[in-house]
Amino acid sequence: MAALATGGATSSDGATSFQRKVPANSRLATIAGTRPSVRHGQLLLSSGLPSLDCVLGGGLAVGTLLLIGEDKYNIYSSLLFKYFLAEGIVCGHNLFVASAKEDPADILKELPAPILDDVHKKQLDEEESAVISKQESRESMKIAWRYQNLPKMEVSPAVSARFGHYYDLSKTLSPELLQSRKWHRFFLPEELSLQSEIKTCNMTCGYTRLLQSIQRIICQEGFDGSYPQKKQKNILRIGIQSLGSVLWGDDICCTDNPEYIHSLTTFLYVLRGLLRMSLSACIITVPSHLIQNKAIMERVTNLSDTVVGLESFIGSERETNPLYKDYHGLIHVHQIPQLNSLICDVSGTKDLAFRLKRKLFSIERLHLPPDLSDTVSRSSKQDLAESTKLLSSGCGAMATGKKHLDF
Amino acid sequence: MLGELVAGAAGGLVLIQDTVDCEGRSLLKTFVAASVRRGESVHVFGFEIPEEEFRAGFDPDVAAQLLYQDGFTDPLCWNGKTGGFRVEEFSVLGVVTRLQRGPVGSATIILDSLSWLLLRRPVPALCQTLAQIPRAAANAGLRVTRIVVLLHGDLHPLGLVDTLHSLARAVVWVGPAPEGMRSKEDAHQLASMLQRKGSGKVVKKEEYFSILTGFTLKAFGEPTRNTPPDEDADSHSAVDTAAYLTFNLQLSDTERQARDRVPLPFHFSAQKKSSLLEASAGTGKIYYEPDATDDLDEEDPDDDLDV
Repeated sequence: MAALATGGATSSDGATSFQRKVPANSRLATIAGTRPSVRHGQLLLSSGLPSLDCVLGGGLAVGTLLLIGEDKYNIYSSLLFKYFLAEGIVCGHNLFVASAKEDPADILKELPAPILDDVHKKQLDEEESAVISKQESRESMKIAWRYQNLPKMEVSPAVSARFGHYYDLSKTLSPELLQSRKWHRFFLPEELSLQSEIKTCNMTCGYTRLLQSIQRIICQEGFDGSYPQKKQKNILRIGIQSLGSVLWGDDICCTDNPEYIHSLTTFLYVLRGLLRMSLSACIITVPSHLIQNKAIMERVTNLSDTVVGLESFIGSERETNPLYKDYHGLIHVHQIPQLNSLICDVSGTKDLAFRLKRKLFSIERLHLPPDLSDTVSRSSKQDLAESTKLLSSGCGAMATGKKHLDF
Repeated sequence: MLGELVAGAAGGLVLIQDTVDCEGRSLLKTFVAASVRRGESVHVFGFEIPEEEFRAGFDPDVAAQLLYQDGFTDPLCWNGKTGGFRVEEFSVLGVVTRLQRGPVGSATIILDSLSWLLLRRPVPALCQTLAQIPRAAANAGLRVTRIVVLLHGDLHPLGLVDTLHSLARAVVWVGPAPEGMRSKEDAHQLASMLQRKGSGKVVKKEEYFSILTGFTLKAFGEPTRNTPPDEDADSHSAVDTAAYLTFNLQLSDTERQARDRVPLPFHFSAQKKSSLLEASAGTGKIYYEPDATDDLDEEDPDDDLDV
């Protein structure tokens, strides 16, 4: 085992020396950055966060929609958005970035840089040579002396993985890498100033423009298979920021009875049709905490494939709660799609919390300690509501307040 | 923190939200006065009170430099006289046209108040206008550093107020100071502030303040927090488990050194260890020394043939 490990470390990409023998004519054309799912056979993309990929069952399937409910100050949801786009750049996919608030070029300038294996491997080699030269002064292992001569293997987050990369938030993606990839933009104020306002079929003008733009890109670039002679297929990653906010011209965030109540839902319906017929995947961030009518959010959840809600502890009373002191917020997985199957893989745990460090955004299971305080047997009604909110952090907690049914 | 905000620490949209109990227009005028004293050109779009009332209380040199757009006298243009600011004119183009009448350079826009506009214009279009004004002004050669608006929080539904907070870079809630404070330290009002910094950090603070004549700000400190001491913390303090035992679990220094010197079961001497480590790459060898009673016969190794 040890010899295999040393043999493996010296090869170029960290793979083992075993090679799978595949007959040449049956080799499938693979697209960079994807892998087939072991559960339902769909092609999976990485969402940019390996820990989120684990929660979603391996990754995001091609042709599906990932909807992220924003946290209150839009800090962590914009981070997930950037991770998704950065993963597309690193894997060589095409990007389509749409926003009503920021210029897409500015968004792309702020993408985090990936932690690449060869950079890390060079550091490892330097470390090794430094270690061997200082071997006399190094303290020898007393009990496990058999392992003394083996090279030190660092267990670090930058494990070689062509599917899913880790990103360093303190550095931005190099402009050369950005220019080498093809990307398309949609900035709403520019589009609205170009042509006059038109309203079609229950959607606001901004949504109509966006759908037309996406459809045009899919047809022109051949993501829907309209150019079969093109050998190298590629994926289109679509990112739409803050859909449903007031800057897109939609008023579902402002009033209880919006004028175009079906605007966002019609948009999602048409968008999902476009996604299913092309090699693309889409991430949308929605300010779900601002949408007044809860029925709209239910419909939006139904019309999307994967729905993840973020709740950050900044500014809330949970920030000072000692239970949550290691974490920055909670993640609620509201929906996982059932693709070609009757069930979806929902993980057993519903309490997931996330923590952001400079090089790692980790999603962990939240362990709540048992409640050993004196008042545990005589909990008042207020405490009951609070504790049920803590233990079952599903979307029911979002809808109801602290009131509690009394019989 | 309020002093820094008034001195121009936050760019973009700054929202001052007041209530029925406490008005925020004096804080708005404080922002105006500080901005004029910094040398920026200040464009005031007034809708709620007449121009004379807005200019009252400022120092004469400050009042002279205000560029006032009058939206109060005749917002729907019924009198037919030009010169006033009509309510339809509040679009990106209209605002930038008015801004271009002033001097070139950095400009601050003051809206008194946003509530008046929200009740008369469609909300999404108004928010889009507010977000696009800096960009359009930059295209026209001006630089709009901040837009300070007054919002009456009681007039709007909660969802609309939350939406506006998500659009703003800094929000200041103005409220009356609690009774005890008001008599003791002459602090009339309490401001709760929220600021989004550029790096994504969110800062929240509360401060007492009062406004002196000439619209200068006097900030007092933060309110002291009176939280009851936490009873749970005392009971879970670290219990010294080794203190009440009848046997000794601690090590003195000499005992610790003696423990280190004890040879461990698999701890060979250095030479034997190195020879074993180096010879590991070779083939296995068996070393056998026959005893005196051993009789090795190659033809009959098991010694059971009847030969």
